[in-house]
Amino acid sequence: MPDSKLGIFGLLSDAGPVVLCVLCVLLSFSIGSWAIIAFKFGYLRKSLAQSRAFLDYFFDVWNADKAFSESEQYSHGALPRVFRSGYIEYRAIGERGDIRQARARVARAIKREANAESKRLSSLVPFLATVGNTAPFIGLFGTVWGIMTSFHSIGLTQSASLAAVAPGISEALVATAAGLAAAIPAVMGYNYFTQQIGIIERDLEEFSSEFVAACVGEPSNGAAE
Amino acid sequence: MRKDQQPRYKEKKFLPWVAAAAALHLLLFVVAIYFQIVIASREVKPHVVTVTLVSRPGAGGLPGIGGQDGGAEAGSAKAPAPAPAPAPAKPAKALPEKKALPEPPHKASPAVKKVALEPQKPKAVEKPADIQKALDRLKQSVEKKAVSSQPTPQPAPGANINDALAKLQKSVQSGSGGGRGSASGGRGGGVGGSGGSGTGGPYNAVVASIIQQNWEFSRALLKNSYGMEVYVHVNILADGTIREIRFDRRSPSEYLNNSVKRALEKSSPLPVPPKEGGAREIWIGFVFTPEGIKQ
Repeated sequence: MPDSKLGIFGLLSDAGPVVLCVLCVLLSFSIGSWAIIAFKFGYLRKSLAQSRAFLDYFFDVWNADKAFSESEQYSHGALPRVFRSGYIEYRAIGERGDIRQARARVARAIKREANAESKRLSSLVPFLATVGNTAPFIGLFGTVWGIMTSFHSIGLTQSASLAAVAPGISEALVATAAGLAAAIPAVMGYNYFTQQIGIIERDLEEFSSEFVAACVGEPSNGAAE
Repeated sequence: MRKDQQPRYKEKKFLPWVAAAAALHLLLFVVAIYFQIVIASREVKPHVVTVTLVSRPGAGGLPGIGGQDGGAEAGSAKAPAPAPAPAPAKPAKALPEKKALPEPPHKASPAVKKVALEPQKPKAVEKPADIQKALDRLKQSVEKKAVSSQPTPQPAPGANINDALAKLQKSVQSGSGGGRGSASGGRGGGVGGSGGSGTGGPYNAVVASIIQQNWEFSRALLKNSYGMEVYVHVNILADGTIREIRFDRRSPSEYLNNSVKRALEKSSPLPVPPKEGGAREIWIGFVFTPEGIKQ
């Protein structure tokens, strides 16, 4: 009876090689996207928490040396890293150059590190976007292919009854379902992470000038300009 | 140097998450298979239930029962029949070998008295004389069988009589009419006003089994079984040909409706109906459900 044909094993065993390939690709996509989601979730959360804690400390002491020594504890935060790079650059200049030159170099170093940090934060995230965009289409391709072969075999058997048509179509639709199952969490993760990364990047932009001012020793209003 | 080491460190941190995601997918797959097995094991049970057809050989069409005039009332009445099937008390002694046989006759006489004495149930005492006649006739036939039977009596006729007695009592209790009616069980005399044969029960069972054999229906193609009942009345001519199929109630599934129609068309001609009542044609009612055919 048709009961034995239903179920996961039945669907997979009756599926053609193209549909199986599509399912394998979608499975790897899904595994990759879930791994990225889990990894990035922890990474970004830690980065945000440490950045906020460092900022609190930084505005409390308003001293570059103390902030630098404290920043060693916040190894995962984006803002402490950027501050450290600016401070190291400032210390490298020493007393040699004039203050405007020192300010420019420190600002450049901070910007460079902010860019690197931004890249680090957004690494692997585009894969989620790729999965979210392409997985439904890959699944659809598998479905179209499956329905195509199913109709071909129906034509060969010369039977148009529901019992003959339905199993092939249901097998083919598994690919679409798998595509959607891979795409939905990927899109959700991508949206969440881009929002979180945006918050961190805005913080980096906002506090770069403060860091320069703290390192070089100028008032923040003048340093911002 | 430092930049080379950083991606490696990151990769090392990322790989456990890949392994965890793969494990999660594997777990989901195993859970899906487990639920599939559980659901499949649950779905096996209804296939066993479909055999109810044999155990219920027609609720009506008994000798002399069916309701000539009060049929419409009887057909529409869906009063729950009392559980024990009453019958005369004497046959209890007549058929000592079968355990199932003595019970219905034993409870029969009080029930008959109840019908005759209780004035607050007008439907059940429509024609007590006719019922009494029918009961007497059945008693006599049962006694004859019992007297003439050897220590090893034939099981089939005895069972038929017993069934007939039980159905007769059910019909009396549910007010299915007291006159000589048609053989159609569910319909009573409303449709079969012309009167039917008295051996409708076995005949109905035979017809039902033929229709069941010709019924091509897969339950798996129905998404749900709620409301999946088709009430059909079939007009059978004296030569067994199905003259008319009347759908009293259709199911929401056209697949089920069409399969019923095809099964009835395929079953025609049916065996020649019994001509005890002198009827030219009879009406038989069936209820088609995904579990099987009921009468």
